[in-house]
Amino acid sequence: MSSENPISDDALREEVRAWLAEHWSPEQAQALEGKQLLWGATGELKNWLGKVVEARWAVPTWPVEWFGRGSSAVQAKIIAREFAAVRAPGAGQDRSSMWANTLLARGTEALKAELLGPILKSEVNMCLLYSEPNAGSDLAGIRTRADRKGDHFVVNGQKVWTSGAANADYGMLIARTDWDVPKHSGISFFFLPMKQPGIEVRPLRQITDESHFNEVFITDAIVPADNLLGDVNTGWKVLQTALAYERSILGDAARGARSGAKESLKEEVLIALAREAGVLENPELRQDIAQAIAYKKLNALNNARVKADLQQGTTSPAMSLGKLAMSRILHEEARVRTAILGAQSLFEGSDHPRAEDANFLTFNAYFTSIGGGTDQIQRNIIGERVLGLPKEPEIDTAIPFRDVRKG
Amino acid sequence: MNSFSADERLALRESIHLLLSKQSDERAVRATMDTTSGYDAKLWQELAKMGVVGLIVDETHGGAGVGPMELELVMEEVGAALLCSPFLASGVLAAALLDALADAGLNDRLLPGIADGSCIATAALTGKSGRWTPDGVAVSGQEVDGEWRLSGCASYVVHGQNADVLLVLASTDRGLECFVVEPRAAGIGMAALPTFDHTLRLAEITFEGVKAELITAQIPVWDAVSRAMDLTLVALAGEQAGAAQHCLSSTVEYAKNRIQFGRAIGSFQAVKHMAADLLLETESALSAARNAAARLAEDAEAATEAVSLAAFACADAFVTTAATSIQMHGGIAFTWEHPAHLYLRRARADAQLFGSSSFHRERFIQALGA
Repeated sequence: MSSENPISDDALREEVRAWLAEHWSPEQAQALEGKQLLWGATGELKNWLGKVVEARWAVPTWPVEWFGRGSSAVQAKIIAREFAAVRAPGAGQDRSSMWANTLLARGTEALKAELLGPILKSEVNMCLLYSEPNAGSDLAGIRTRADRKGDHFVVNGQKVWTSGAANADYGMLIARTDWDVPKHSGISFFFLPMKQPGIEVRPLRQITDESHFNEVFITDAIVPADNLLGDVNTGWKVLQTALAYERSILGDAARGARSGAKESLKEEVLIALAREAGVLENPELRQDIAQAIAYKKLNALNNARVKADLQQGTTSPAMSLGKLAMSRILHEEARVRTAILGAQSLFEGSDHPRAEDANFLTFNAYFTSIGGGTDQIQRNIIGERVLGLPKEPEIDTAIPFRDVRKG
Repeated sequence: MNSFSADERLALRESIHLLLSKQSDERAVRATMDTTSGYDAKLWQELAKMGVVGLIVDETHGGAGVGPMELELVMEEVGAALLCSPFLASGVLAAALLDALADAGLNDRLLPGIADGSCIATAALTGKSGRWTPDGVAVSGQEVDGEWRLSGCASYVVHGQNADVLLVLASTDRGLECFVVEPRAAGIGMAALPTFDHTLRLAEITFEGVKAELITAQIPVWDAVSRAMDLTLVALAGEQAGAAQHCLSSTVEYAKNRIQFGRAIGSFQAVKHMAADLLLETESALSAARNAAARLAEDAEAATEAVSLAAFACADAFVTTAATSIQMHGGIAFTWEHPAHLYLRRARADAQLFGSSSFHRERFIQALGA
């Protein structure tokens, strides 16, 4: 079960299959379909995840002392493929869980012992306490503070764009712990317990009329020093680890709660809509539809190429393009849907589900083109890290945060 | 069909890159595009010796007998170097058309010369309308006393003026047929057309009762044309993807070094963002071209969707990248001496040859069942 005791690929595949055959059924697959892992689980799913973790399928590449089996990435993929083949969730969290990976990489032994298991089993709910009203794209400008008092820190400030804050047990928090050093150097990273006085969660109403996000007001909340990830003032580095996991997950996940949003990822949905609306013969729309579908196909082809390259041990620049591509896809898809509907898109309400979908998608596309780093920030990253273009001069990275001009 | 391993593909690509970086550099391209023939006979022979000219011709006829994937890869280098040659016309379009028509006797006669570069062939598929569809054909053939005679006009014939052999599509009372015509036969009028892309050669050919040899096609002639066209489109897509990548990388190099307002222009977000958008264009083009080649290698009949996608995605990506690279270079790129306009000329030519982007988008959506 450990790396000193290697198992052949075929034997492993047999072991997973046998285990799934014993513990998993197609009925379960149906019942759990569509339940999200990202923001926490309930009931039956939780039970199942418990079994997966105990059987060490959840994070096979991790060490044995932390629910893993010291597997290679190749063997982890074998396991994930077997799970995917029967549509069983829970495997591959060593790639997909930003919470667990961040904690494993940077957490204290005490915090790992307390929370790694519960996180993998989705027994605890997590949220992200990064952005602030005055620190969006420039996250290093945060002003929420954490001040050390003995064996704990006292936190004060305001966070925004926090999904799942109302149900969260812990928030991954960045807070300023030193105001006399440059902005990136005085930040620390915590697992903040959310169920305590001093934390007030207020839902944010979005332009889609949904409330996925919250504002979180933090007044004299307490976080134990053991819940510090990395050393004091090294939070920026920990954040980069966490963000890398988040970006890779956001690139894969379907967004939006409504049926139209899920449906939109299917390739031929625009053709079906145009046919239904009786406008499929309109040559201008045909061009638009073809182009919108093409954007999706091209993104899928880029992803396939990246995957093939990785398997050969090489990398391709296409790797960093997924988020930018996705935002173009979503905006274009919404635009073409609206064009297909024409005047019908003036309506809203459940009597006009097509219009509802198109209008929802029009707004929801901003989830991707702003959330997780705006398209413009993505372009900076691609320009600098992939193409090697020089950085924009930064005027506030070398001076104490106390002296930085703030908005 | 021979298939190369990943290492062999890399070696093929590197050897072509090496040859073209020496013999098809900017100076060579400019010199060649100003000649009447528009290609360098010596380089053509070297390409033939390397096996490039006969790349897709089967081994029994002296070629390398490789498939769309190797062809696409070679074309990426051809595009990056802006190679001036009749390769697309002779080694790809004509060779593929002959292969698809499968007239054994004729192929024994023509393919060895096409493969070793001693015979330049091309195909005349459309008339002045420039529509690469059956209704674009403006040549007709009549059988008189057991002999075929062609009349009418073919246009947009790539390297027609350099051809030793013409394959001519003509409508007859038995439907579309393909003929072999000797370009110096009596009744032929050959006129070189003035091309906006100086690295390209196009001819208009008129036929007045020209004697022609009917090709004994083994499949319906338009099916053969479509098959040859698909392979040609994949080659063209590879050329476009490779050329677009070249435009982007040379522009990024420039943006790293050109100083304005005391800093490299690449540090300005306006410039950086254009570069990032172009990376998405060029990487998508590369994925589309390679995917189309792979699908075509697997199953020629089911590849329409992938080929059409590559055709418009790569055409659009090359035009966008070549055009934006001029903007990113600023004034220097507005001079004749700078190579940027050569790429934009090629990009705009490639985007119209064998059908426009909107034509291929329409073909794509039809392949999706709409």
